[in-house]
Amino acid sequence: MLDVNKIREDFSVLNRRGSYIPIYFDSACMSLKPDQVVKVMDDYYKEGFACVGRSAHRSGVQATKKVKEVRGIVAKFINAKNENEIIFTRNTTESINLFANSVGLSKGDIVLITDKEHNSNLIPWLFLRDKIGIIVKIIPCNGDGTFSIDNFSEMISGAKIVSVVHTSNLDGVTNPIKEISQIAHKNGALIFVDGAQGMAHKKIDVRDLDIDFLAFSGHKMLGPTGTGVLYGKASLLEKLTPFMVGGNTVSNSTYTNYEFLGVPDKFEAGLQDYAGILGLGEAIKYLNNLDWEEIEEHELKLNTYLTEELKKISKIKIIGPENGAERSSVVNFYIEGVDMNKIAIMLDEMANVEVRSGRHCVHSWFEDKKIYNSLRVSFSIYNTMEEAEIFITNLNKIMKIL
Amino acid sequence: MPCVIALIIFGIIGIFSASHRDLAKEAFSCVFKRITLRPCDTGFKEKIKGKVLSKIINRSTFLARMVNRHYEVLSWVFFVLMIGSTFWVFSGVYKFYVYGSCNGLNQSGFCAFDPSGENNKVTTLGDNSTCGITPATESSLTLKGVDLSSFVRKTNIGKDEVVVIGCYACDYSRKVYPDILKLIENKKANYTFASYPAKGDTTFLAEAGYCVNKIYGEKYWEFNKYLLEGEKDFILDKSNLNKILEIFNFDIKKVNECSNSTEVKTIVENQAKELKKTNIYGTPTIFINGKAFVGPKPYRVYRSAMNKYIFF
Ligand SMILES: Cc1ncc(COP(=O)(O)O)c(C=O)c1O
Repeated sequence: MLDVNKIREDFSVLNRRGSYIPIYFDSACMSLKPDQVVKVMDDYYKEGFACVGRSAHRSGVQATKKVKEVRGIVAKFINAKNENEIIFTRNTTESINLFANSVGLSKGDIVLITDKEHNSNLIPWLFLRDKIGIIVKIIPCNGDGTFSIDNFSEMISGAKIVSVVHTSNLDGVTNPIKEISQIAHKNGALIFVDGAQGMAHKKIDVRDLDIDFLAFSGHKMLGPTGTGVLYGKASLLEKLTPFMVGGNTVSNSTYTNYEFLGVPDKFEAGLQDYAGILGLGEAIKYLNNLDWEEIEEHELKLNTYLTEELKKISKIKIIGPENGAERSSVVNFYIEGVDMNKIAIMLDEMANVEVRSGRHCVHSWFEDKKIYNSLRVSFSIYNTMEEAEIFITNLNKIMKIL
Repeated sequence: MPCVIALIIFGIIGIFSASHRDLAKEAFSCVFKRITLRPCDTGFKEKIKGKVLSKIINRSTFLARMVNRHYEVLSWVFFVLMIGSTFWVFSGVYKFYVYGSCNGLNQSGFCAFDPSGENNKVTTLGDNSTCGITPATESSLTLKGVDLSSFVRKTNIGKDEVVVIGCYACDYSRKVYPDILKLIENKKANYTFASYPAKGDTTFLAEAGYCVNKIYGEKYWEFNKYLLEGEKDFILDKSNLNKILEIFNFDIKKVNECSNSTEVKTIVENQAKELKKTNIYGTPTIFINGKAFVGPKPYRVYRSAMNKYIFF
């Protein structure tokens, strides 16, 4: 069983004696960071900060070595073949944009996405549609938000790219990536996975799932903000043309010409957030020290409890499958005719419960379903059952006045 | 409507507190959107509503439910109350500035800016010998038909007319006196001092004052100043009068003869009678161009009464 109390000791924000301690249920937006991550970043600035891959002095060499190490840690974490398949970016959104703009799409190319994609996996494609005339097709999910293999199979023919979310930030549903990639590959399409949500909740093995490209952010998986990753199969990365260019991407240049470095350097333009990258490495080490099964078991327990309690409240409608086990670490719900912002603020004011209200960057889904907004509870390894109970108690109180 | 209220409230608090400035900006954006017939999409309304409800819900679920259901109506009620109380506050501040009391001229009700009512304290005319004056209100105080010709009047180059009815034995008259002198000096006003024995017997000082003016003219003002600013117990002791006259090098004999004359006694008696016609109910009562100010007001009150436009 996950030792939550021990884990909580590593998060200063949950141990601020005498001051405001949140009941943090917004990990789908951003996770908390353990002290180990903060320390590594602090150490970088205090002790060894220098340019990576440029300066030949000892500090430079040391920093270069550490960043290279993290590249290896990330690669191993997702079971990539080698560290050169890892490109550091600022976040998932940048990774998606980098991919979308480098993959060489042209007019008429078809990109398939689902109807519950985060704006970060919708807007870049719509933008390219308007800019160069690609065709964006939306795969409708089943009524309960689960992925429809049937709909997908019907639409796959002729598609060049299938870009789907791994675990949805809207309803916590994890898509059957392995099956999707098989179908995609059979039809000659590349599969791109938006892995922003799942990384701290489920083990992702890019080789087992046969993913061509994967994007994720450090800040949702106990790591620092401003760090992201784009994974790509080495053979495919070689074919991409860089999207952002400049310093660090070339081996040489003249006034009229330049020579790009190899993968991954040619995609990492400019000086990067090295402290952040080291923090990301530490966050992965932290996750590696935990047991994935225990994490999933813990989150299932919380989700089942919350789901069952919410089901008792007749006015509440849960977004996604009824069964909490199918919604990872997300419980998202709404009440017809009620602005959920108000409820979120009340929970915060009444019991320090921090949840997210709004449309969660999936405006398109809300517009389509004509739902004004919702309230999302999303948890992680540091949340306790007691916190879930406080949430339910206070929500019940609020329900009485609506 | 809640946005308008929030804009006003946070706008005012925001002047002093940086943390409320953002809320004021949000409220402004919300109001602006409503004015331009767009929905207020900042979530601001719900934010404020949520904050309000969470404060109430822990005390009473019933009340919270009522507030939640009738939020818009309640907002209107509060808005009207707020406008009313804002007006009331401004009017109170104005009255306090111009009259020294939030409640108006010579009103002694509670005023937050002057909680102990210092500006309205008077020595009331009790049931001693000089009384018989029926308690009157400020509106009945008047100089009309009151013959002040026997009192000493200092003519100045200004047009304003100040009449001070004060009592040598009264603390509040003594308190305000330096301000009166300052006022006369600054405003170059014409000035009459009328002694009224509101407390104890100070008639002998009035008589002496009358004679000092008669014999020594202008020197009267120094003498009068001494009587109001010098050591009170010493001055009020009749046996010290000669010592006081001596300080000013007055001819003691001459002044005493004059004071003891029946003519002067009658004049001073008549003076008191004339002053009663003003309907005074306490000292000091200061008439500035005919308008009565009862009690020791702050200097600015007298000054603004003389100013053309309150402040200048
Ligand atoms: C599913 C999903 N995709 C993409 C993103 C965008 O992540 P980032 O803001 O780190 O780029 C998010 C963030 O909430 C997300 O949940």
